[in-house]
Amino acid sequence: MSASETRGTPPLAPSSGAHAGELSKKGLSAGAVGVLGAVVIGVSTIAPAYTLTASLGPTVSVVGTQVPAIILVGFIPMLLTAFGYRELNRAMPDSGTSFTWGVRAFGPWIGWMTGWGLIAATVIVLSNLAGIAVEFLFLLISQLSGNPDIAELAFNPFINVVVCLLFMLGATLISYRDMQTTQKFQYILVTFQVVVLVLFAVVAIVKAVSGDAPDPTAFSWSWFNPFEVPTFSAFAAGLSLSIFIFWGWDVVLTMNEETKNPAKTPGRAAMLTVVIVVSLYLLLSIGLIMFAGVGTGPLGLANEDISANVFFALSDPILGPLAFLVSLAVLSSSAASLQSTAVGPARTLLAMGHYGALPAKFARVSPRFFTPGYATVVSAIVASVFYAVMRVISENVLTDTILSLGMMICFYYGLTAFACVWYFRKQWFDSVRSFFFTFLFPLVGGAILAVLFVTTLIDSMDPAYGSGSSIGGLGLVFVLGVVVILAGVVIMIWQAIKRPAFFRGETLSIDAPESLRRARRRQAD
Amino acid sequence: MSGRIVVGYTATDAGADAVALGARLAAAMDVPLDLVLVLPAEDRSVITPPDAGYDRYLVTQAETWLAEAAASIPDAVTHASHVRFGDSFAEGLIAAAHELSASHIVVGAANGGLRGRHRLGTVANELLHSSDVPVVLAPEGSRRLEATTVTRVTAAIGTRPGASALLDESVALATATGAELRLLSLVSVDLPVGVDTGVIRIAGAAHADDVLGKALDALPEGIEADVVVARGDSIEDAVSHLSWEPGELAVVGSSRLARRRRLFLGSTAAKMLHELPVPMVVVPRTRGKKGAR
Repeated sequence: MSASETRGTPPLAPSSGAHAGELSKKGLSAGAVGVLGAVVIGVSTIAPAYTLTASLGPTVSVVGTQVPAIILVGFIPMLLTAFGYRELNRAMPDSGTSFTWGVRAFGPWIGWMTGWGLIAATVIVLSNLAGIAVEFLFLLISQLSGNPDIAELAFNPFINVVVCLLFMLGATLISYRDMQTTQKFQYILVTFQVVVLVLFAVVAIVKAVSGDAPDPTAFSWSWFNPFEVPTFSAFAAGLSLSIFIFWGWDVVLTMNEETKNPAKTPGRAAMLTVVIVVSLYLLLSIGLIMFAGVGTGPLGLANEDISANVFFALSDPILGPLAFLVSLAVLSSSAASLQSTAVGPARTLLAMGHYGALPAKFARVSPRFFTPGYATVVSAIVASVFYAVMRVISENVLTDTILSLGMMICFYYGLTAFACVWYFRKQWFDSVRSFFFTFLFPLVGGAILAVLFVTTLIDSMDPAYGSGSSIGGLGLVFVLGVVVILAGVVIMIWQAIKRPAFFRGETLSIDAPESLRRARRRQAD
Repeated sequence: MSGRIVVGYTATDAGADAVALGARLAAAMDVPLDLVLVLPAEDRSVITPPDAGYDRYLVTQAETWLAEAAASIPDAVTHASHVRFGDSFAEGLIAAAHELSASHIVVGAANGGLRGRHRLGTVANELLHSSDVPVVLAPEGSRRLEATTVTRVTAAIGTRPGASALLDESVALATATGAELRLLSLVSVDLPVGVDTGVIRIAGAAHADDVLGKALDALPEGIEADVVVARGDSIEDAVSHLSWEPGELAVVGSSRLARRRRLFLGSTAAKMLHELPVPMVVVPRTRGKKGAR
């Protein structure tokens, strides 16, 4: 044998012991992501094409032409809360995110519900994403084949549910096996999405100005005035929808040790991402309002028949033969978002299994693909069942899921923001920086989200809320929100009986880091 | 005289097979054993947001798996565990083998293989088409095998270039493990499809004697070897009629299509693989290290 041991000891570090992992760090996410990479991850996680087609209609229905104002205002609680996220992620980087932080700040019970809120929100969005993707798949086929009947097939409940489940199955397989596209391909997809959306908006504006539109509406700067929203209820509903459109942006800001330069990359990337996304949103919402108006006419944005998926109805009238580009952009954006979103609940479930808040099965990592296998499959099954059930009981499944989604985001984001405030309570006054980032910003952000959550909850009791579906005289969105939260409480109590260790704080304890200033002073003494 | 043995480990039955075989080889050759678990490099992930928390969890999990695997290795074998990162399992494994100056890479058969048989998984397949280090394939069920030593090394000799590197490797293996050496000729069936079986037998037998005679002559001083000619209608048939000892190793050469000093599983070796009940060592066509010939 020729490979002889002449050069002494092997150059690898052992995997255990005092020097574990000091060598061969190549591939650890430490330092892998640059500004451009982070922006691409951010834009593809937010998936502007998908979020806007899903949320523009419902938003117009509540706030009319004030959509641009609501988009800008909606960014404020998102930003304030994301600051809290960043602080928590810096102090306790953990795949359980909101769940782990909630437990560390408030203890097992509230922490459990925070994790539950995150899982519920992502499971709901998964089902909505798949629903939108199915509609655009049929639209794309009909556009390419020139046969409009095919697009109608998407609204046959049976075909819709079956194709949607197939979509989920495919997405789950990809997540489970951790199949990745190349970076180049992802860059192309994101660029394509942005270019198509700009084209879509510009053509809409041109057609509106030239009068070649169903309901040409003249642009007015007053659309940017949040105080012209008719009622506070409308304002709250609009805000919780616009929080949804920024959801996912926090991923960029909280990337920390994964980036090439943790001090600068996340901030710059977050800034760039938000500028890109907000410009797109403003351009598109203004363009579509100018083109289609906010009425309930056949193509009006507030028309219930089209509002859950406005691009679906408007791409043909605006782009004509090029409309298939919009379908492609939304499809690819939903597909990418389906992947990046599915990771969230899986990793949170994994952390909950790991700390004993759920059966240990959830902590299982696939030995071949190194993904949270069990948790991935469970969240996909729950999302599929959720979609199938909603399709049957709701008149307009997409609108209702988006509205309840906004509510769930407010719930767990708000709790996370408060977790940040409470966790750092001994460090609030350490410095000006920590006063703003660990106290004031997350507190205000959390408070706004809490108000939004309660207002939406009360308003949605009205059976006319959302798509107008109701159960027992209560609006479906309300029933959905309450059922999801109560289901969480029931499962939590059941787990507390079966797995008391976690709920006694034995696996993950409450904590509050000491003031650094006081520690320094003590050292100086 | 030989380097270390690297086991490509996954926490699956195939991984356990590989560890059992690796430990047996290391014990027989008296060399250290390295368990290597390759995690996906995070920079290849572009869709799922990176999450350092999850990566840490994965590394901890990988270390737990490795510790469990290490517990099954006999105390007499010196062993170490490593967690590595690579764009693919095979790539990470080959890099680790280079860094460790390993003489062999051991991997298990894919899940779902028949008991005692090989079935190539994606990892083994990639390794067999790119490694420049000899690859040892552990058949399904190696983890339950009683054998603790290597009793015999069988070299499947062809006639074309590559045979000499193969012979060197087989002799070295037999010497290192103290096993008997057996030279096997499959030339009798290495003829075009459709030729009458009787003709193959006559033409082949003469050819086989010739090849084996040359191989015997090429053996270093003091090395004894048994000689056997496999007979059968096909390679699969010929291999299945041979007798195999539980502690045996089969050594085959890489395909002639391989790039220099790289592996590439040829059709003959691939056919043997289906029938072979013992571990198979795949050796690169030429080994460029000095003193190898």
